[in-house]
Amino acid sequence: MTASDAPQPAAPSARDAAMEAAPPPMLARSGAPVIVAEDLGVRYDLRFTRKTTLRGSLGQILGRGQSAGFWALQHVSLRLQHGESLAVIGPNGAGKSTLLQVLAGIIRPSQGSVDVHGHVSGLLTLGAGFDQELSGRDNILLGGAFLGLDDAVTRRIMPSIIEYAELGEFIDAPIKTYSSGMRARLGFAIATSIDPDILLLDEVLATGDAAFRAKSKQRVIEIVKAAKAVVLVTHDMGWVTEYCNRALLIERGRVIMEGDPAEVVAVHQEHMEADRMQRIAAAEAAGVDPRIVRAR
Amino acid sequence: MRGLTPPVLPFRAMSATSEAPAAYRNTADDPGAIGLIREAIADVRSRRRLVRYLVAADMHKRGADTLLGNLWWVIDPLLQMVVYVVLVTLISRGQNIEHYPLFIFAAILPWKWFSASVTDATTSVTSQDRLIKQIQFPKIVLPVAATSAGVVGFAFGLIPLAAIILISLGSFSPFLLFLPVIAAVQFLFTLAFALFMAAGNVFFRDLGNVSRHLLRLWFYLSPALYSLAVLDEVRLLDQFPILRVLLQLNPFAILFEAYRAVIWGVPGDISPRLPDLSGLGLLAVGSLVFLAVATVVFKRLEPKFAKVL
Repeated sequence: MTASDAPQPAAPSARDAAMEAAPPPMLARSGAPVIVAEDLGVRYDLRFTRKTTLRGSLGQILGRGQSAGFWALQHVSLRLQHGESLAVIGPNGAGKSTLLQVLAGIIRPSQGSVDVHGHVSGLLTLGAGFDQELSGRDNILLGGAFLGLDDAVTRRIMPSIIEYAELGEFIDAPIKTYSSGMRARLGFAIATSIDPDILLLDEVLATGDAAFRAKSKQRVIEIVKAAKAVVLVTHDMGWVTEYCNRALLIERGRVIMEGDPAEVVAVHQEHMEADRMQRIAAAEAAGVDPRIVRAR
Repeated sequence: MRGLTPPVLPFRAMSATSEAPAAYRNTADDPGAIGLIREAIADVRSRRRLVRYLVAADMHKRGADTLLGNLWWVIDPLLQMVVYVVLVTLISRGQNIEHYPLFIFAAILPWKWFSASVTDATTSVTSQDRLIKQIQFPKIVLPVAATSAGVVGFAFGLIPLAAIILISLGSFSPFLLFLPVIAAVQFLFTLAFALFMAAGNVFFRDLGNVSRHLLRLWFYLSPALYSLAVLDEVRLLDQFPILRVLLQLNPFAILFEAYRAVIWGVPGDISPRLPDLSGLGLLAVGSLVFLAVATVVFKRLEPKFAKVL
């Protein structure tokens, strides 16, 4: 798929609301590079893992001179043009999400650089920034402020968010009183309320009951089509071949292959199959029931 | 593909659509200390609405589940004062300092601001871990918001302070106009301390546990329940004069004495007066340096937050 120049969809959208006030977007020219990544590397320092305590960390500092670390991503270069939609695929733990985090500016690379031209946005996991004590309305304002939306824009798209999330009068009740479905719908509505120039999507989200899932998938497709460039991380190969015009295969933090989605998907599936056979063989050699491996 | 440089586009820090940068470069380079401070100032300036919302959310939450709501901002320091007055009266067998409630309240109010700000700031970054891993925003707004929320609590506390002044002294002195000056110095110091704790707690969760006890010890080592002059009667300090210097260098020794001077007076002459301006000035300069260092440390550690959380 290529980014369409068709009119914006009617769903809640910050860009629609800001259109009159905003100067023309800087990415008007087609074919201009929007993301240029050169020799990216991200190194994780294992000394500080989740919930470190002083004791554990000091022990490691004193115990071993060199710090334990590993490269989650190394020597990754990519260039994304205006209008392109890039799929990033690979096995679990290959560094796909890390790549998105670097592109979004959330993680600083340990090596190399990324230049991004345009507003970047990912879709938040539903309700990541929700404050349980605040009302739905206050959470929309707070979420908009975290995303960097203008106050006037947030207020203007507020009614459409409320309507889209099907919350009705619950919007003024604290989030903690919401059902999980209501929470998920509001989270989705806030996350998809901005139309970024560059969309970074980590797993296509579909949420809630069957009816809302169909509606939310439709909305994601709209955003993907409206964005000037898309980077999509997914395990759903159907999405890759249907909505992307380029694919990148990453294994163990390195780029294995880049090119036509169908070809890259084929290589990826080949590798996955080979890996699976290898694990079954290893399991049989170790005397473990291979069905355990196969089930994964 | 490599070797081609992208066309140079004008950097626009903000567009009408968004407060987030429209273009940026993400590299391993470090912009240097001055660059980091400049960045931090730009971060807070461009996201001041986020700070405001976070402060408002904090206010709202504190009053949400209680019967008296935001009245607790006024009642809480009063109750704390009563506890200390009872405690100290019992210990000293009634040999009290004159207008003791006012004497204590002048210290409790700023201390509550400091300890609440530091406690909230310590967990301000770690509690937003999910958000930090998903969107890029200047993390410095989190401790700044926690510190600013403390200012609002302090402002509410001025209401009972005014009441106690009227009851004890009968009138307001013009020296009370120095309160904002002293508070400004305290704000600088509190913010610097908050930045350190917020960044540190990401890497060492022990800080949250330790800080509660350290804060309590700090409070008792500061002249809050007693005046600095009492130290003359402590023999230990004659043997080790260095201890006296340390106690006098304590920022809260300077702050409490200053607050007390403009609200209450000095022991032996209870009438509001000019605070020790040289001490305050020194503390202001020291706090500014401290704030600069804390900002650089915070900004240097900030890119690691998403990896560690």
